[in-house]
Amino acid sequence: MSFEQDKAEILDACIKCSACTAMCPVAAVNPLFPGPKILGPDAERFRLEGLQIGTTLSYYCSKCKTCEITCPSGVKITEMITRAQEDAKMSEGGKTLQFSIRDYLFGRAEYLGKLATVLPGLTNVLLKAPLFRQILEQTLGICSEAPLPAYHTKFETAEKDRKSKKQVVYFPGCFVTYNDPLTGQAIVKVLKHNGYEVIVPPFHCCGTPLEGNGYLREAQETAKKNLALMEPYMRAGIPLITGCTSCGLALREYPGLAESASELQAYDLFEFLWELQERNEFRKDFKDIQVSLGYHSSCHLKAQGIGTPSVRLLRLIPGVQVTDLDQGCCGLSGSYGFKKEKYHTAMQIGKPLFNRVRQGAANSEFQSVITECGGCQVQIRHGSGIETVHPVWVLMQAYGFFQLLSSGRHASSELV
Amino acid sequence: MKESKVVIIGGGATGVGILRDLSMRGISALLLEQGDLAHGTSSRFHGLLHSGARYAVKDPGSAAECIDENLILKQIAPHCISDTGGWFVQTRDDSPEYVEQWTKACANAHIPISEISPSEACRKEPLMSKDVLRVFEVPDATVDGFKIVWANAKSAKRYGGQFKTYHQAKRLIMENNRVVGVSTKNLLTGEEFMVSCDIVVNASGAWASHVTGSIGIPLDVICDKGTLLAFNQRLFQRVINRLRPSGDGDIFVPHETITILGTTSEFVDSPEENDPQEEEVNKLLEIGRHVLPGIMKNRVIRAFSGIRPLHREDHDVPGVNKEEGRNVSRSFALIDHELQDGIQGLISIVGGKFTTYRLMAEKVSDRVAEKLGSMTPCRTATEDLLPVIPEHLHKKAAQLLPYAPVEKMLERLQEDAESVLTEIQRDPRKGQMLCECEMVSAAEVEKAASDEDTHHLADIRRKTRLGMGTCQGAFCTYRALPLLWDKKEKYDALQDELRNFLNQRWKGIRPVLWGQQLRETELTRAIYASILQVREN
Ligand SMILES: Cc1cc2nc3c(=O)[nH]c(=O)nc-3n(C[C@H](O)[C@H](O)[C@H](O)COP(=O)(O)OP(=O)(O)OC[C@H]3O[C@@H](n4cnc5c(N)ncnc54)[C@H](O)[C@@H]3O)c2cc1C
Ligand code: SF4
Ligand code: SF4
Repeated sequence: MSFEQDKAEILDACIKCSACTAMCPVAAVNPLFPGPKILGPDAERFRLEGLQIGTTLSYYCSKCKTCEITCPSGVKITEMITRAQEDAKMSEGGKTLQFSIRDYLFGRAEYLGKLATVLPGLTNVLLKAPLFRQILEQTLGICSEAPLPAYHTKFETAEKDRKSKKQVVYFPGCFVTYNDPLTGQAIVKVLKHNGYEVIVPPFHCCGTPLEGNGYLREAQETAKKNLALMEPYMRAGIPLITGCTSCGLALREYPGLAESASELQAYDLFEFLWELQERNEFRKDFKDIQVSLGYHSSCHLKAQGIGTPSVRLLRLIPGVQVTDLDQGCCGLSGSYGFKKEKYHTAMQIGKPLFNRVRQGAANSEFQSVITECGGCQVQIRHGSGIETVHPVWVLMQAYGFFQLLSSGRHASSELV
Repeated sequence: MKESKVVIIGGGATGVGILRDLSMRGISALLLEQGDLAHGTSSRFHGLLHSGARYAVKDPGSAAECIDENLILKQIAPHCISDTGGWFVQTRDDSPEYVEQWTKACANAHIPISEISPSEACRKEPLMSKDVLRVFEVPDATVDGFKIVWANAKSAKRYGGQFKTYHQAKRLIMENNRVVGVSTKNLLTGEEFMVSCDIVVNASGAWASHVTGSIGIPLDVICDKGTLLAFNQRLFQRVINRLRPSGDGDIFVPHETITILGTTSEFVDSPEENDPQEEEVNKLLEIGRHVLPGIMKNRVIRAFSGIRPLHREDHDVPGVNKEEGRNVSRSFALIDHELQDGIQGLISIVGGKFTTYRLMAEKVSDRVAEKLGSMTPCRTATEDLLPVIPEHLHKKAAQLLPYAPVEKMLERLQEDAESVLTEIQRDPRKGQMLCECEMVSAAEVEKAASDEDTHHLADIRRKTRLGMGTCQGAFCTYRALPLLWDKKEKYDALQDELRNFLNQRWKGIRPVLWGQQLRETELTRAIYASILQVREN
């Protein structure tokens, strides 16, 4: 079926039930934001008439995709909004030059990362300097209070390991590559411990930041480059794994972009490990570690529709208590919460979550928080002051590769 | 009562066109309409502002009228017209000889056409069939019937013209072979009274023979029913016609947010016989598929039918069959009953097209002026229909309603725009979209509900487009009710307004119940039949 016919049918599928708007975290805190239904399928009928409507307000959409997972009709709401942003950009939309430079940069997490990790030390000093942050706010509209993550020496794959029969391809994503390489190494280590050789081709950004900042076409171009890199492994039936939920969501949509039928099997790390567990291939040589954790499920994990495999898996470890916090979106949504005009919206969206985290930590219900998403980790730490890490670190500790989790700061990433 | 020199019967495009023309010439006129303005064929049509190309071969006279009027209306009423352009496409089933005949006929009628390559055409209209052989561009456009009818009425009012809706002409009153007035019934109050005047203009469309019948004058008007399908979205950017002798279901018109496919043609006995039938729907889908191959997967939100008033001068044509509907001239007839039947003071105007409403009005008004001895010439071909909307209102609207198609709202509201915007400024909640599919704000609905000439929810629909989009009234109907409550003395009991409005929507949905529209209808049923317990009677 042609792309255009597909697009027409997806728009036709909307039955105007408003479920999407009822669940949108931004609409819940910002009364001026008309919500996904109006900006997506409703406005789309007018856009087909050549009327660009709601372009200024559409930038308040954080691209969390809660609306899409909520929609009972499979309407690609966020894609409609992004495409509209892109078209509006072409015809001079409502954004100022300042914001377009910023969004251009935020869309290109890969370039930013490459730049910053040339001299990570210097970058981090600068990012911490209040004066520099004031300048960033005034020149680029990047909120000076926002928790920009620190940069690290770039994630490189560990030493070439001996060939195992079982192989996986790992997609680290920009956050691991430039901000949190230790988590990437932890993931590789856990996979190796389970008998897998881990291959890491020189992937590009998954495309989510581009999409989030309104560059759909470019996101699709990047995706195609990644698909080409995956090609030989795909043909050999080797699965693709990522620990980042936004990358994971994007990778799941890749097959739709492929010219011919694509055999891509993309897995979230814990989804993959849970399959091993179901096949009795998951290693459970755990130490008893006695930790209590609060779990936050990121929007992009929910949008993948695979439940919360990390919670299921971690509960297999003796002594581990996991409480599902279930407080919705953290508000950050990639670079959204870094933007000065959206910082407060983002903080308001995250408020119920931060309160729940603080309260849980104060009652000793749990010591720290786990969530797969790097952005959520940064935002929860910023909003609640409580340590937040990727769940793979719990496995690392249970396998005895790592000691420190329950007692103090974890070294994988730091706040600026 | 004697209110004016002229009484016009019928508030469709033709009637309001005449009201405006006479008012601009300073001739006092009163228009009587039994329903709301545009309640007849003028809101149940295809929305195509003909370039004339469709009639070039068969009816060159009509074609020439169309191209002239097409260019005039684009000038004087750009806000009611979307200058989309149109294509004539030849499919494999359409004869090449006809194409030759047609291109010559267009040249003779001075209709500019230009050929474009099929590959370029397919790029510009990706949903169109890839099997087209030849494609020609013509100056077709689309016209918003509601908007242009109201724009004429409002303009006429500025010149002193008057109109009364829900007033039915019951009988013409005659004295010594001269019509001297109209016995009129106010359908809202039941009150009957006589309106006297010097001249009556019968512009009642498909009802025209009923009006002259009241004084025993026969008028040969054929009721030709045409059914149309409304698709949920704009599938094409321009009007797409099949390049073949005019037939059923071969024109797609992108109209506002939707696309309309039509039309069928069938003679019926009365102008009230306008229920779309399942067979007509199936037929349209079958024919439309040649131009829109994915047609079964494109959502149809409703079907609707209108009645073409065709004038047949030849009283002797025996019987009636379908083909004749299209063969009877689409051009109009001005009947001066003084010349035809020896009855003074009565003019009937029948037939024609929406596209030529202004020309028909001009001809009628010329004749009326002549009879009344007025020398003032017609100005409707040059004077703008809509007053200029001041720049500050455009700015204010864009600022107050940043996510709405505000230009459409301003054009609908015209001089009422200022008060509606002020109300939104005072209470920003009224800037919320009450009808989200067609994006009509609560403030605009409230304004329409309180207008003195609004008497039913359906009148609000015709003024604003409330309930005409994807959900077909599922959500906006109950949202609008509280706004009627404030003026409840004007309306029927609210449960009756609700039921009638839903039933009108249902009439058009019933023949297209499949796919997504079926899902939508189930949701609507859950809201009204289950939650709100609205049941038949
Ligand atoms: C299916 C279809 C598609 C069409 N498509 C097109 C198109 O694409 N382009 C185009 O140019 N033309 C088109 N036409 C033709 C066009 O719609 C009509 O020619 C035009 O609308 C007629 O307008 P009117 O004012 O003469 O009649 P109407 O709009 O029917 O107005 C007559 C009015 O008189 C009122 N009335 C009747 N009796 C009385 C009474 N006793 N007292 C008071 N009021 C009374 C009625 O309520 C009605 O509102 C189409 C027609 C049909 C049926
Ligand atoms: S992506 Fe998230 S913020 Fe954007 S409209 Fe959907 S639910 Fe709302
Ligand atoms: S996009 Fe989906 S959830 Fe939103 S109104 Fe339409 S059908 Fe409902």
